[in-house]
Amino acid sequence: MSELNKLYKKTILEHNRNPRNYGIPENWTHHAEGLNAVCGDMVNVYLTIKDDVLQHVNYSGESCAISMASASMMTELSEGLTLADWFERFEMFKLLMSKDAAEDLHYETLGPVNNLVTVKKFPSRIKSATLCWYAMAAAIKGEPTATTE
Amino acid sequence: MLRDQFPGLNIQVHGKPLVYLDNAATAQRPQAVIDAVNDYYLNHNANIHRGVHSLSESATELYEQARVSLAKLINAPSHKDLIFVRGCTEGVNLVAQTFVRNRVKAGDEILISHLEHHSNIVPWQLVCEQTGAKLKVIPMNEQGELVLDDLDQLLNEKTRFMAVGHVSNALGTINPVKKLIQAAHDKGVPVLIDGAQAMPHLKVDVQDLDCDFYTVSGHKMYGPTGSGVLYGKAEHLNAMPPYHGGGEMISKVTFDSTVYNAVPAKFEAGTPNIAGGIGLGAAAEFMMKAGLDNITQRDHELRIYAEQKLNEVSGLRVFGTAKEKAPVFSFVIDGIHAHDIGTIIDHYGVAIRTGHHCTMPIFQFFGVAGSCRASFAFYNTEQEVDVLVESLHKAKAMFT
Repeated sequence: MSELNKLYKKTILEHNRNPRNYGIPENWTHHAEGLNAVCGDMVNVYLTIKDDVLQHVNYSGESCAISMASASMMTELSEGLTLADWFERFEMFKLLMSKDAAEDLHYETLGPVNNLVTVKKFPSRIKSATLCWYAMAAAIKGEPTATTE
Repeated sequence: MLRDQFPGLNIQVHGKPLVYLDNAATAQRPQAVIDAVNDYYLNHNANIHRGVHSLSESATELYEQARVSLAKLINAPSHKDLIFVRGCTEGVNLVAQTFVRNRVKAGDEILISHLEHHSNIVPWQLVCEQTGAKLKVIPMNEQGELVLDDLDQLLNEKTRFMAVGHVSNALGTINPVKKLIQAAHDKGVPVLIDGAQAMPHLKVDVQDLDCDFYTVSGHKMYGPTGSGVLYGKAEHLNAMPPYHGGGEMISKVTFDSTVYNAVPAKFEAGTPNIAGGIGLGAAAEFMMKAGLDNITQRDHELRIYAEQKLNEVSGLRVFGTAKEKAPVFSFVIDGIHAHDIGTIIDHYGVAIRTGHHCTMPIFQFFGVAGSCRASFAFYNTEQEVDVLVESLHKAKAMFT
C-alpha cells in the first residue's frame, strides 16, 4: 500500500481539507475554466495581474483530492511571481508530471508542489493534477477555457 | 460454476484478487466466446458473403449462425430482422439517420427520458439540429424512476418518435418499457429501446415488447467489443434507406445507379467485424445455456445483499433506489471524491467506474458532478461485495 500512501501524502490530504485561496474573489483581472470532460473535473482560476506580476491567485471548483491539492499548492506558489517566472515553473511542473521523468525528480523552486511527483505513477490521475495549471495558463493568455484532453 | 468459465476474473491487481465490479462499462467474456473468436481466426479465417471457396463458405455460415442465435435470444420473428452493428451507439445512430430524420420536420418532437446514456441523447439532438425538431424528455424522480404522470401530454400529435433505455447504466433502474411502448403505439409513435444494459440481466422478448427497434451491445452481454445488433421490425427495415454505402449492401452497381441488397445486407456495408459477430453468437448461446431466469435470480440476490451492505457504510449515499432495478449501485461518500475512492479501492483489487458514466443529465438532477458505480454481473459473489465494503472503509480511514 506504500504507493497509495505516497500518492495521498499528508500534505496533499491537508491541502484537500483546507484548500488555500479557495473561492471566487470579488475582483479579478483574468479568469479561465479548466474542464476534464472524461472525469467531469472542473476548476475555475481567477487572477489579479498588475504590471506582469501575479498579485492574487484564487480558484474554485469541485474535484478530487489530487486536483484540489494541486490547485491549492499552485495558488500559494504563484502569488507574487512575475508571469515569466510562473511560466518557468509551469514548464518544471510539466516535467515533474511527465511519465518519462525520474521518479525522484525534484525542483527546489516548486516547493510543496513536489509532493505531487507520485501522481505520474497513476496515469489516469495525471490530468487531475495538471488541470489547474493549464487553466491558469489559459487565464494568463486570455483564453476562456482549458482542457486536458 | 458459471464463474469458472470467465478466465478474465482470475487475475491479480496490485497483488490482490480482482474484484470486477465495472460490468456496466464492459463485462468479462466466457471461455466459449474467446474460443469462438479464436476458432474463426485459426480455422475459418476468410471474408464472408464473397468467396466461393470453402473457407469463405464456412466463415459465412458461422457468421450467419450467430445472427440466428441472437434472434433466438431476443425472440425476433426472423434472423433477417437483425443488423450487425458495432454496438448500441451505432444502432441508435442508424435509426436516427435512416428512419427518424426523414419523418420529422421543424416543430415535430422526439421523446426520450431523463435516464438516457449520452448515446441515446446526442443522436437525437443531431436529428433535431438537422430538421428543426424538438427533443422532449420524460422526467425522473428522486428514486431514479421515470415519472409517467404527464406521459399523455409528452406523447402528443407532434411526437414522431420515442427512444428509451430499457435499463439505466448509471442507476440500474429497469424502465417499464412495455407500458411505454403501448402508450406510444396508442398515439401511433414508433419506439426504439436501447437494450445495452438490459441484455446482460434480463430476458428480452422483442415480440412481446412490440418495440419497433431494439439495440444490443455485444460487449455488455459477455460478447466481444465492437459487436452488436440492431433489431428492427421488417416493415421498417425494408422501407428504410441504407445507412452506409459500400460493398455487400448492393445488388448491382453502375455509374448511373445502384440497386440495394435486401435486408439485412442493405445495412451492412463493408467487411464487418466477423470475429466479433461470431463471438457475439457464442455469447448468446452461452446465456441461453446458463438460463436467463438463473441470471436474473442471481442478479436479484446480489442486489439485495449489496444494497444492505452498502447502506451500512456511514456517510454513503446511493443514487437510484427504484423498486425495479438491476444490480447497479451509484454512490458517493461524504468528504471523498469519487476518483479518490476509485484509485484507493483499486489498490485492494476492486474495479469500479467513477465519474458521470456518460449520463451527465442524471447527475445534474442530483446536483453532483458524478459518482462511484459498482455494477454487478451474475458471476460476482457476496464475498466480493464484502471486499468492496471493506475497501470503502479503508478509503474513509485514509481521508479522516
